[in-house]
Amino acid sequence: MAAEFTDDIFFATIGELNARLKSKEFSAVELVRVFAQRLEQLGPRYNALALPLTDVAIRRAADVDKELKRERYRGALQGIPFGAKDLLSYAGHPTTWGARPYAAQVFDSSATVIDKLEKTGAVLVGKLAMVELAGGGGYRSAAASMFGPGLNPWDRTRWSGGSSSGSGSAVAAGLVPFAIGSETSGSILTPAAFCGITGLRPTYGLVSRHGAMALSWTMDKLGPMCRSAEDCGIVLATIAGADSNDPGSAHKSFYYTPQYYRASKELRIGYAPVDFAEWAQPAMRPAFEQALAAIRETGAQLIETKLPDLPYGALTSTIISAEGSSVFEPLIKSGKVDELADPKQIAGLKAGLEISAHDYLKAMRIRTIVQQKIRRLFADVDVLLAPSRFGPAPKISEPLDKPANDATPKDLGLSALIPAGNLAGLPALSLPCGFADGLPVAIQIVGPAFSENQLLALGKDFQTRTDWHRKRPTVA
Amino acid sequence: MTRRELAAVLGSVTSIASVRAQEPPASQPEDPNAAAKEQLGKNSETLSKFDLPMSTEPAFLFKA
Repeated sequence: MAAEFTDDIFFATIGELNARLKSKEFSAVELVRVFAQRLEQLGPRYNALALPLTDVAIRRAADVDKELKRERYRGALQGIPFGAKDLLSYAGHPTTWGARPYAAQVFDSSATVIDKLEKTGAVLVGKLAMVELAGGGGYRSAAASMFGPGLNPWDRTRWSGGSSSGSGSAVAAGLVPFAIGSETSGSILTPAAFCGITGLRPTYGLVSRHGAMALSWTMDKLGPMCRSAEDCGIVLATIAGADSNDPGSAHKSFYYTPQYYRASKELRIGYAPVDFAEWAQPAMRPAFEQALAAIRETGAQLIETKLPDLPYGALTSTIISAEGSSVFEPLIKSGKVDELADPKQIAGLKAGLEISAHDYLKAMRIRTIVQQKIRRLFADVDVLLAPSRFGPAPKISEPLDKPANDATPKDLGLSALIPAGNLAGLPALSLPCGFADGLPVAIQIVGPAFSENQLLALGKDFQTRTDWHRKRPTVA
Repeated sequence: MTRRELAAVLGSVTSIASVRAQEPPASQPEDPNAAAKEQLGKNSETLSKFDLPMSTEPAFLFKA
């Protein structure tokens, strides 16, 4: 009898799907086919789909079934469908980087992360939409993508976040069990927060970027976007590791072993009350209060702290602009840059070519100070905690550079944690923590470099005490 | 950078775009090219105010 696929399967975690595959409740082909068809059918509803790979995926799944029949187990991802941001190459198939000038681009090899996932038996069912060029020139409109604005599964008049827009909405809508996104400064955490899923930004250099579009060589990271912290750990364990093809590789391995890390009650968690009480929009505050209460329940010690006063915005902007414009110099000089969708993006890329060596080097030298000062901060706390975003997903019709909150508190708290964490190359985990006016709210936890297991242990504990990560939007 | 500028940066919802949006939209020049150049100028000015010890090296490493 054919298996019946309900929302319990579309919104299941990797562990749950793996258990059902092993118990032969359904085959890998059946699971992959139903997810691939769902992505193909519903992905366009959210402007989430860049390229369906249904036929290829079903063929791969058939190979997985042969292995399972021989009881050759490769781990929790064997037979699990996934999606990848269209900034990752997949041999022989178009990789658009979300940008019209690259619509016909095809690479002859796949990104290391996709290769690694496929080797464990995970099955790529589609490439997912993204903001053009990962927003490298800056952008003002949610429609800054050749796929149109990423639409939020919780409210399609709202943005899914960027630049990993399709990865966020596809996971949230149960179109894929997990996806790979990328972050230069906020591109995993933002869509994870807006879409109500769990997103992990790994330490710089932990995951190979070989085969991924470069935007900023010194800041780009790839990471998992999933249903839970546990799933993020499982995926990270597969995609992390040394790669001589990535000059930024840290040449470190990662084994997902949260059980060997400190229990939450032993942690000192740094936070700034002003982030939750003043920087956050009023509608978000009750959810944040509940999140703080849940963190306190773990027994962790909450310690007030704040970031060193440094020009995080100017640093991030200068470094990404200088590196990004250098990467895309051929596009800019050919004039094809004008084919991009967002005028701000076009102008930002052009202007970036004019950044002086002096300004870039100054920014990179101040970045050294950022690293040193944040390292010192971690002498007093083990983890930093802050809202992932201060406001909910904005309407797609609104300009994205409109402030989320009219308030400008005097105390900066940890309000610059996204640019600061990215400048310092630190890992971060975004965890859903409630809703405001029907839209997801999320917290982020950030740790020292290579502290992913500690973050995941805390995230897992948080998610055993809350069920926000289990909430599902209504998907037609 | 003033607190108001930082508020615009941090409160905005974009990822990479957020760090560029240091000026409320209303006060931005209409020409995006002029706005982008103006932003770079502001960044440069902000960085120039920051004194560094001569010994501070940039946060990247050349490996032979």
